[in-house]
Amino acid sequence: MSATTFDLATLDFDAIARRNDQARTQRILLFAITAILALAWVTPFYYLAISIFKSNAEYGLGNPLALPTSITPVFENIAEAWSKAKMGSGMLNSLLYGLVGGGAAIFIAALASYGLTRIEFPGKGFWFMLIFSGTIFPLQMYLIPLFMGYNKLGMTNSRIGMMLFYTAVCIPFPVLVLRNYMAGLPREMDEAARIDGCSEFRIFRSIILPNCWAPMATLFLIQFTWIWNDLIFSMVLTSREDARSLMNGLMVLQGSYANTTPNVVMTATLLASLPSVALFLLLRKHFMNGLKLQSL
Amino acid sequence: MTQHRQAFALPPGAPSIDQMIAAERRRARKRLWTGLAFMAPAIAFVAIFLLLPVVFNLYASLTQWAKFSGLNQFAGLANYQRLASSPKFFDATLNTMIWVAVSFVLPATIGLSLAMLLRGVKGEETFKSIFFLPRMFSATAVGVIWYYVYAGDGIVNSGLRAIGLGDLASRWLYESHLATPAMIVTHIWQQVGLMMVLLLIGLNALPSEPMEAAKVDGASRSQIFRHIVLPLLMPTLIMVTTVSVLAGFTSFDLVWVMGRDFPNRSTLTLSVNQYWESFRAGSWAYGAAIAVVLGIIAMSISWSLGALQHRLDKR
Repeated sequence: MSATTFDLATLDFDAIARRNDQARTQRILLFAITAILALAWVTPFYYLAISIFKSNAEYGLGNPLALPTSITPVFENIAEAWSKAKMGSGMLNSLLYGLVGGGAAIFIAALASYGLTRIEFPGKGFWFMLIFSGTIFPLQMYLIPLFMGYNKLGMTNSRIGMMLFYTAVCIPFPVLVLRNYMAGLPREMDEAARIDGCSEFRIFRSIILPNCWAPMATLFLIQFTWIWNDLIFSMVLTSREDARSLMNGLMVLQGSYANTTPNVVMTATLLASLPSVALFLLLRKHFMNGLKLQSL
Repeated sequence: MTQHRQAFALPPGAPSIDQMIAAERRRARKRLWTGLAFMAPAIAFVAIFLLLPVVFNLYASLTQWAKFSGLNQFAGLANYQRLASSPKFFDATLNTMIWVAVSFVLPATIGLSLAMLLRGVKGEETFKSIFFLPRMFSATAVGVIWYYVYAGDGIVNSGLRAIGLGDLASRWLYESHLATPAMIVTHIWQQVGLMMVLLLIGLNALPSEPMEAAKVDGASRSQIFRHIVLPLLMPTLIMVTTVSVLAGFTSFDLVWVMGRDFPNRSTLTLSVNQYWESFRAGSWAYGAAIAVVLGIIAMSISWSLGALQHRLDKR
């Protein structure tokens, strides 16, 4: 491919043009296939989005994909969904569980990862495996003992009980990630402080932690979304409306009104999903980074 | 020992070797306690809320525990024998195996096709977000939406009628041979975006030299894919398959929301069966036994795929 032997006369311009055309049609074809697939993918969302604008009577008529005739029924739908599914308290509870559970879990995981990467002591491998073993059992193995234990201690239907459990279940995965991340931070950063007589907690708080905000924020997003979207633990550990999570409320609403007021159930579904979807659309980069963490 | 000590010429006033050893021991002890103090909260939370329940669940499955009594009456393996002869458990296992088999193949395959399709297409980032979006919805919300998608006058049936295939319109979630496949389609719709993104990360991390070399040697695109991309991508594919199989295997929310009114057992999975036997029927010990079976299957899946991964890493 040396340029010195290049001879313009030997170039077949028609062939090059044909190849370019071919590449272009191929590109357009691939784009078209992707676009059609994407369209199919968003159809259920489109359906969700238009259904919330339909009154019960309008929903029952005709084509499910038809545009709504007016947008005013949405206010009535929201009001009805809000009161029937007790979405006010549900949202507050889910927010509380997600913020406290996710936040506490990641702070505790950061503490443990500091101990695992910065302090030399025997038996570290054992303690790490103990924490890590919290990821290998299917969640079904926790349900009965938790329910019984909480029942004995009077902790069912308690917000504290829910936050404690969500904290625990969200600890192991961040330990795995933060341990790898902290192990990659240069030792010199904290060695100097240690020689100067800084306490370990001080080093953790003012040297290591400030360098871990990026993975911690990403991990928090992952765990917050998990807690927000969880159904089964709220089903097992809460039965009263004042402690149950938003998804539990949605499930109960669907159970009783799925066939009588579909428009209201759809509205509740959209409202319940809006927070996590908005988080994703705003912080897409962090979510994608989180997936990189997961694939390590 | 004394000879060794004499071998060192210690400067006057310096601490003796014994003192130094004692000081080092003190420091080691202090490090141990500091280290444990940092790990204590994590250890306590995991031990109390996750590991203790697993152990208790294991124990409970060997008792006659039901309706708040019988926890102290040992039953041996009676609960497991009851499982083996229960038609419900048989159906649940069969359906779960269908979920596992499908999750082994389809999500990774579709995810890989999407990933290959998306690479270099205009608007890649937008498409990526679109395919990933269902993942941000809870399985509960997805179940509710698709309950209506499959309804008598829902999208699927009206779509079929619109293109003249009205004969195929069905009550998807109410026909015993259609309900589980319909739910699996929903599950795949939700999960495939995740598989695609994970595979894209894997694809982007591949070295480009082998592919360029093959291209120069005149290999076709499908040859490059089969003989170079696929083997290099194997570790990612196994990881994605593990994630997918475990997600399909333990999926509860979706089946619960979409299929719980269903009168016969055609959608029952092990996780729903476990919930039902424990929290609706009150057979705690029996439910605990189902949970143990679930645990054994889940662990053998992740262990065997992990072993496969390990063997590939070695090569």
